[in-house]
Amino acid sequence: MNTKLKVSEISKIYPGCIANDKVSLEFGSGKIYALLGENGAGKSTLVKILSGVVKPDDGEVFLNNESIKLNSPLDAKKNNIGMVFQHFNLFETLSVFENLSIDSDKKDEELRELVNDILKKYNFKIDLDIPVLNLSAGQKQKVEIIRCLIRNPKVLIMDEPTSVLTEQETDDLFISLKQFSKDGILIIYITHKLKEVLSLCDEVAVMRKGKVVSVSNTIDEKIESLANKMVGENLNTIKKKINNFKNSEEILKISNLNFNSDDPYETNLNNLNLSLKKGECLGIAGISGNGQNELFQILSGEIITEGTSIMFRNKEIGKLNPRERREYLMAFSPEDRISQAAVPELKIYENVALNNFKSSNFFEKGLVNEKKIKEHSKKILSNFSVNTDNVELKSQFLSGGNLQKLIIGRELITSPELLVCFNPTWGLDVGAINYIHETLIQINEQGKSSILISTDNDELLKLSDRICVIYKGKLSKIMNADTVTAEKLGILMGGGSID
Amino acid sequence: MSFDLNFIGILIGAIMASSVPLILAASGELITERSGVLNLGVEGMMIIGAISGFALMVVTDNLFFAVIGSMLSGLIISLIFGLLTQSLLTNHVATGLALTIFGIGMSAMIGKNFVGIPGKEFPLLFVNLKESIPFLGPVFFGHSIILYFAFGLPFLTNYFLKKTKTGLIIRAVGDSPTSASNQGINVTLVRYSCILYGGAMCGLAGAYLSLIYTPQWIENMTGGRGWIALALVVFATWSPIKVLIGALIFGGITILQLHMQAVGLRIPVQLLSALPYIMTIIVLVVISRDSRKIKLNTPTSLGQIFYKEK
Repeated sequence: MNTKLKVSEISKIYPGCIANDKVSLEFGSGKIYALLGENGAGKSTLVKILSGVVKPDDGEVFLNNESIKLNSPLDAKKNNIGMVFQHFNLFETLSVFENLSIDSDKKDEELRELVNDILKKYNFKIDLDIPVLNLSAGQKQKVEIIRCLIRNPKVLIMDEPTSVLTEQETDDLFISLKQFSKDGILIIYITHKLKEVLSLCDEVAVMRKGKVVSVSNTIDEKIESLANKMVGENLNTIKKKINNFKNSEEILKISNLNFNSDDPYETNLNNLNLSLKKGECLGIAGISGNGQNELFQILSGEIITEGTSIMFRNKEIGKLNPRERREYLMAFSPEDRISQAAVPELKIYENVALNNFKSSNFFEKGLVNEKKIKEHSKKILSNFSVNTDNVELKSQFLSGGNLQKLIIGRELITSPELLVCFNPTWGLDVGAINYIHETLIQINEQGKSSILISTDNDELLKLSDRICVIYKGKLSKIMNADTVTAEKLGILMGGGSID
Repeated sequence: MSFDLNFIGILIGAIMASSVPLILAASGELITERSGVLNLGVEGMMIIGAISGFALMVVTDNLFFAVIGSMLSGLIISLIFGLLTQSLLTNHVATGLALTIFGIGMSAMIGKNFVGIPGKEFPLLFVNLKESIPFLGPVFFGHSIILYFAFGLPFLTNYFLKKTKTGLIIRAVGDSPTSASNQGINVTLVRYSCILYGGAMCGLAGAYLSLIYTPQWIENMTGGRGWIALALVVFATWSPIKVLIGALIFGGITILQLHMQAVGLRIPVQLLSALPYIMTIIVLVVISRDSRKIKLNTPTSLGQIFYKEK
């Protein structure tokens, strides 16, 4: 089976934005193609057009040299184009089998047999009769893939498939995809993760601002070259100058801190000790779920502890709530941008106002001082290069990168002495990551301290002065960053010990 | 008052009859809600069904036309709701409330000329059996065909939702209209159909009141039964069988407390009148307390407006 897919001069214009600008690409079976680009580059629009969800304004799609019309998802199915969306298209309350049978015209028994064959062939382990909401993200994705495989697809499109997967699940997915490719399925893999492109794909097309800017073989590419094409400018490689803080003033000290939770889904913290100097960045590595959440909440005041266990600039702050801690010039950027750091339904300036304290004068006699908040918000938007100047915009319409810039900006504009951030670049594209990293280095240079809790080791090694690892609620020894390697971190993160 | 077996049988028969409008309306609304549409216009659709059934009976002198006509009128008024919520994307709650207010006003206007006209006798089935078998006779026989239909309906609905492809599609649409649309299901069509079906069942429930239960037209004769039906659907956690149980408990306690009032027990009348509402909620909450099952039965997208990406 030899499949050729060609898109020719595809254009799609939304009000105020050209999502696809005369995009032309060719694909052939036997290879895995990467479609690479930042958020908003037009990748998702292109695949929505290929799957019939969105109609193009102009242009044609050819399958095996024949022009095909994709007016609805049904048309895509008829032409054997399968699509796994980034946000799953599953019915959570229905069973796995019901999810599969809903768009199949086969009899139940036949379908079950077919599905069992697919499960066996690709070594998927999924119970067909439990509701989808009981599945892990990786399993849900497999259900989506099976749904495509049932129809013997010629083309399989994967839209940012690893954004919800663990590392192990990602490895499994790559094995399956390579197998599908061998079985003759043409695979188009959409991503903004450069490492994945290099380890999985044969060819890569880079999109930027709705246009295809480059098509090449991945063998000829490196992470840096792809990153530059994707962002469209030469990214400066950031490297922090590591300083010695032996003689600096101590700003934060945590001693013998314990946290025991009744909630079985929370991790207990055991006897934590750490100290932080002025101008220093302390990185905390670890596989997620080892107590990072709890540690962040203890630092931010969402979980309250004994007063003496946390000393910040020689004051006991363990019993203070987040707002009181902010008065003492601490700042926090939580992991979950949408539900913890910002309220998506609120406008930008309203989100800024949430982070008020006494000195900010956002509220007067119980009334909102809108003018003041808006001025303050405008300052944040311009100082932290958020890609809009409209403070009336609802926060949910900001991209992840812009939202993160807004959040970090909101925290930093009050010049806090300490910023605690938790996975600040999670899910962001290269340009935004770079910006956040530069900002974090900058605050250290200004003599402010930071704690960086992150699951991204590259980020930790790039930004930290000292690093430790959290494993099952315990902190490892704190090491100077220049003595730490990714391997060492890996060992500690898995519960091993070094030297 | 004698408590002989036959009397209890008659009592049970009366309870069954009083729960019929609730079962019909709630079963219809259940299908509507399972597709993700929250139609608060049940009361309005019922009362429109009641008046148009009665009016058609008077005008045509034909009960068959009256019953069919009441279902059609329920369907037509629900079509207004469908047009507004599905095509013009208005808010479900506000539109449903407006529908109820509209229905009550409209029925009062049409009904002006029909007040005081006596109803026609509705044919009852197996009347001989009712009288010849003690206890079981009055329970199972001597009812109208609509009652038998109503008692079969929850089981049919259950089977339809769980075992048929169409039922599966309705549940899928209620779970996630976006996913369904991406799978090539015509969400708007499915939701329209469910709204119209719900409207027809509410119309039938209204006709049962004005043609059979109290065969005459009285303004506002549904008396809040539409709201009870709505509440039943929610408290029964969208399970048709539990709707049946809830309707029977409500009907049962309504009848029993009337008898208790008649006997003259020294309990405040207000408390007795409130009893059906309280008991129905308590029982349904108790039998539906499995949170996992609730999650699986609840239409996730209930009340959400769906619009397709273009």
